Amino acid sequence: MNWLMTQIRKEEWSPYVAGVLLGIVGILTVVLAHALLGASGGFENLAAYIGKAINPANTYFNYVMPAGITYPVVLLVGIFFGGMLGALSSGTFKFRTMDSEQWKSAYGKQTWKRWLLLFVGGIIVEYAAGIAGGCTSGLAISGGMLLAPAAFLFIGGMFASGIATALIVYGKKY
Amino acid sequence: MTYVIALILGVLFGFSLNKAGLTKYHKIANQFRLTDFAVLKFMMTALVVTMIGVYPLRELGLITFPTVPATYIVGNLVGGLIFGVGMALAGFCPGTAVAGAGEGKLDYIVPGLLGFLVGAVLYGLTYDAVFPKISAIANYGSVVLPDLWHINPYLAVFVFALMALVLFYLIDRMGMHRKEKKS
Repeated sequence: MNWLMTQIRKEEWSPYVAGVLLGIVGILTVVLAHALLGASGGFENLAAYIGKAINPANTYFNYVMPAGITYPVVLLVGIFFGGMLGALSSGTFKFRTMDSEQWKSAYGKQTWKRWLLLFVGGIIVEYAAGIAGGCTSGLAISGGMLLAPAAFLFIGGMFASGIATALIVYGKKY
Repeated sequence: MTYVIALILGVLFGFSLNKAGLTKYHKIANQFRLTDFAVLKFMMTALVVTMIGVYPLRELGLITFPTVPATYIVGNLVGGLIFGVGMALAGFCPGTAVAGAGEGKLDYIVPGLLGFLVGAVLYGLTYDAVFPKISAIANYGSVVLPDLWHINPYLAVFVFALMALVLFYLIDRMGMHRKEKKS
């Protein structure tokens, strides 16, 4: 029991162990909820409140991803508290505006720059998830675990451009 | 009831992201620098475990799959290509950002989550001009590989698991990953 608590309290697990946990969660999601995991979809249900205010006749927010506290939104709330639980278990929960040393060496130490890039990155990622039909959670993991070809096309594209982007950002330090 | 299940599944998902370390900028960035393969190991392990669990249940007729993400080759690929740029720049994706937000990261909570919301609004408002066209090209619908290629599902899962193991072997034992450069 003590051993188990020590393991749970560790800040980082082997990615294989964490992956097994996620794999079990994946099975439970399919069997118990008859649904998939996801993250970008919840943002779309929330964005629908704003989108419909801008354009009430909009197709997407009326028929495809309508506003509401839907399953993906509840999932998002859960992910938030899951992250919190993980941080609390290892004593690493802390309010902070930027905590990555590697970020500073890549982009500089200004906080505004990080906040701006996270905002822009967020827009790009969420928009792209719309086109692809899901994000890393809803398409790569959820589709991949059912062997959907869509997931592997997405993962291939994501790695190709991700590596190219890192090459540009890091330059000589890549 | 569905909401309670969704909440619990979400918590476990967020917890696993936190423990895998994926809520940290360097984990994502270094995957794309090919110096740390935690992202790929985490994802591939999860995929293999889930498919070993759900495919036999499906073959035995005990469950049906929920709606599978649709395959439309150009859209999936182009979406992935754009996605990778944002993910490598920011070092997060929607799931890891929400879990990181729960850890108290204000940069994830404020600009990160706002960015996703703005991105989703922009996508919804431009949906009619973008999605119908791109999803019409090479559209196979909601399909899984064993059904599409008419291969035995058990064999497909076995081959995928074997590929994952070979990949893990190459990364961990053969030193496929690049060495971190001293800056």
